[in-house]
Amino acid sequence: MIQFKNVGKTYPNGTKALQNVDLTIEQGEFVAVIGLSGAGKSTLIRLVNKMIPLTEGSLIVNGDHVESLQGKALRRFRRRIGMVFQSFNLIQRTSVLNNVLAARVPDMGFLRTLLGLYSKQDKLLALESLHKVGILEKAYTRVDQLSGGQQQRVALARTLAQKPKIILADEPVASLDPITANQIMKDFKRINEGENITIVVNMHHVDLALKFAKRVVGIHKGRIIFDGPSAKVTEAILKEIYGRDISDEDIMFKDEKLVK
Amino acid sequence: MKNWLNKLTHRHRSLTLTDGTTTTRPLQFDWFYMLLILFIVVFFYQYIIGAYFEVISYPFFFSRVPNFFTILQAMVSDVNWAYFPQILDPLFDTIKMAFLGTLMGSLFALPVSFLASQNIIKNRFVSITVKFLLSFVRTLPSILYALIFAFVFGYGTFVGTLSLTVFTFAISSKILYEYIETLDMGAFTAIESTGATKLQAFTASILPQLYGNFISTSLYSFEINIRYSAILGFVGAGGIGILLNDAMSLRRYGNVSVLLLGLLALVLVTENISRAIRKRLN
Repeated sequence: MIQFKNVGKTYPNGTKALQNVDLTIEQGEFVAVIGLSGAGKSTLIRLVNKMIPLTEGSLIVNGDHVESLQGKALRRFRRRIGMVFQSFNLIQRTSVLNNVLAARVPDMGFLRTLLGLYSKQDKLLALESLHKVGILEKAYTRVDQLSGGQQQRVALARTLAQKPKIILADEPVASLDPITANQIMKDFKRINEGENITIVVNMHHVDLALKFAKRVVGIHKGRIIFDGPSAKVTEAILKEIYGRDISDEDIMFKDEKLVK
Repeated sequence: MKNWLNKLTHRHRSLTLTDGTTTTRPLQFDWFYMLLILFIVVFFYQYIIGAYFEVISYPFFFSRVPNFFTILQAMVSDVNWAYFPQILDPLFDTIKMAFLGTLMGSLFALPVSFLASQNIIKNRFVSITVKFLLSFVRTLPSILYALIFAFVFGYGTFVGTLSLTVFTFAISSKILYEYIETLDMGAFTAIESTGATKLQAFTASILPQLYGNFISTSLYSFEINIRYSAILGFVGAGGIGILLNDAMSLRRYGNVSVLLLGLLALVLVTENISRAIRKRLN
């Protein structure tokens, strides 16, 4: 369970990225955070695993008070939280398998990491993870030879190899074409339903968010102004979240009807 | 003169497109002025800093040039082939010195470049201190290190190896940390987000990207070290340089030419091997 209690984030330069955020996400939920770029979506997601520390309020994730976690305790806490990025953030010049195995690094000694001596157990776990996202046959290919969609799947497999309780996805499909984006979102949905992993994904494209997430959180200028099931999102609510009419840029599949 | 300069700098400065849009290039200090200044300095250097360069007046310079060819002629006309077997051992010493020096220097450079990279060590005090120490190490000329080591450890190949280690360390660490600072930190962030320490994240995400650059930097240092070890010999650091020093001071130009040919062959071989390996890396 993720519990934001009156959370706020003010950056050192004085920018208030988030204010008065109250939000509770139960284990196994699929939540999409939507809003304009600069609204605070990324900040919200990065607070959860303390990639960015919060400045006000308190945040409890699976019983741990995130704001007080530090050093070893913080690293231990992060192991159960996967993270997927817009730019995939894979290790270039190395194989797909090595990228997935990198998720096992926190449990390994320095020499083993240096020499890449992963255990058989870890290798099997990594291969299973690749199998789950359907790119097992690419295990020994170099990542820079894969397409964008395949690279994002490698990143997804990497987080699966962490055996996470929560996956945080920061604009995971923003740099993909619509078809691939749709497939990646399907992967997220399958993982969410099959393994009861909480998924918090922030995205700009409204149609994909409504299609895949069961719950939508709308952020406008650092404040949550909508939180509810995706079925209850209306044009008026979207207009409020985006502060303007929804335009073509906010939609991946331009021909489909947005709200049923 | 001013008018002429003006014409040159304003050439094609404002251009108008077919629809009437005009673009204007901002005036800036460009290569033209640089060349002009360089030209003036070179041409009139004697008048600018004359006193220091009196010795190298033009007549003196040209009167001494033939001496160069006298030595060259002595080297070419009287090649002492019989001397060749004697240079093999020192030649191998040179290779050993360069190889070990490169290996140790490069390996030391890795962890230090990690500490010097600002994008990995967020603590500015640490990275700036390390950078400062590194520039200090680079400031001292390598020949000085050789002299100091020779004073401490006595003459021999060990001193050469040690000096080349420091030399390799000094240049490799700079090249490496500058390269690390240009790397995309996405992968590092991703591995850190899995709960890894900075060191673990560096080992898993930065080192694989560094590998190619590291090998080619090391090979490049090896090439330089082979050549440099000849100079180090002059201060007693072992290898072929000692023989070169002896032959030069005894004016045995026939021996000098054999030594230089041996060194040339060695340099050519290492350069080609190193180029072949680097080609495969890319």
